[in-house]
Amino acid sequence: MDISTPTFPVHHSTLSLDIEGHKTEIIISSYEDHFLVIVTQIGSMGTILHARKEEGVSINPTFNVSVTFGKRDEPMLVACARQLIEFISASGYSKGLVLSLGLKDHSVGTLKHIVSAVIEKLPVVT
Amino acid sequence: MDPNESKEAFGNGVETATQSVNQLTMKEHTTQDGGGVQVTCFSEVSNEVTLHFQIIRLQKQIYAWIGCSSAKFGHLYAAARTRPSNTVSVTSLIGGTSDNTGSGVARRLVLKTGLNIILACDLPKNSPMLEADAEKRLVQKLISLGYTKPQV
Repeated sequence: MDISTPTFPVHHSTLSLDIEGHKTEIIISSYEDHFLVIVTQIGSMGTILHARKEEGVSINPTFNVSVTFGKRDEPMLVACARQLIEFISASGYSKGLVLSLGLKDHSVGTLKHIVSAVIEKLPVVT
Repeated sequence: MDPNESKEAFGNGVETATQSVNQLTMKEHTTQDGGGVQVTCFSEVSNEVTLHFQIIRLQKQIYAWIGCSSAKFGHLYAAARTRPSNTVSVTSLIGGTSDNTGSGVARRLVLKTGLNIILACDLPKNSPMLEADAEKRLVQKLISLGYTKPQV
């Protein structure tokens, strides 16, 4: 469901889907300087990551991705954030990404589905 | 159709329609996803400044954003009651430090509502009146939405 009342400055979109047997809620919010993506299967935000493009002069952008809260030993979560910030940057946004992943399983399949669902939905939110 | 059956069906239909209309009127700025996620957005003016609030309710946690005349994300804090003595702990996740504007708000939100809170807050420093006002309005909204837990 997409909602953006004309006067409220932050647009958001919610999505409910089944990923590898688990009911998953995705909420994407667009702020002035960040995207917030909440993906949850467990009823809470879970691990929270922060990703942003580094200011630099080289042609190839570099990104800084870090876990700010939660599991720091799951590289797939960091990879998920990295893919999303790369997409955001390639789409021309100069916003950072706050990604929350509250997942029951951290398999590659699950994260791939999440990345593709978010990529599909993101342009709608802005 | 038997006249009695059709009367009952009509009555049921009217009841359902009335309930739907009531829900629409009450939740003007709340979107409800079938899976139990509710997003509420509202804005209020406080001393010539527009405060924006966004509340996302998950089953076991509440995320809230407070903006001040802009849509900047601000600093991010997490607050909850923690073991062993159940006191409220707060930590800054993005931007901010433990004595910034948002951390006090996050802490008091947990105290007043009993909920597990993630707060993104873009309030200006050194505006205690604005901070208190924003906090008050947010707590009022959380209570009116029925999200708060009874406090002992």
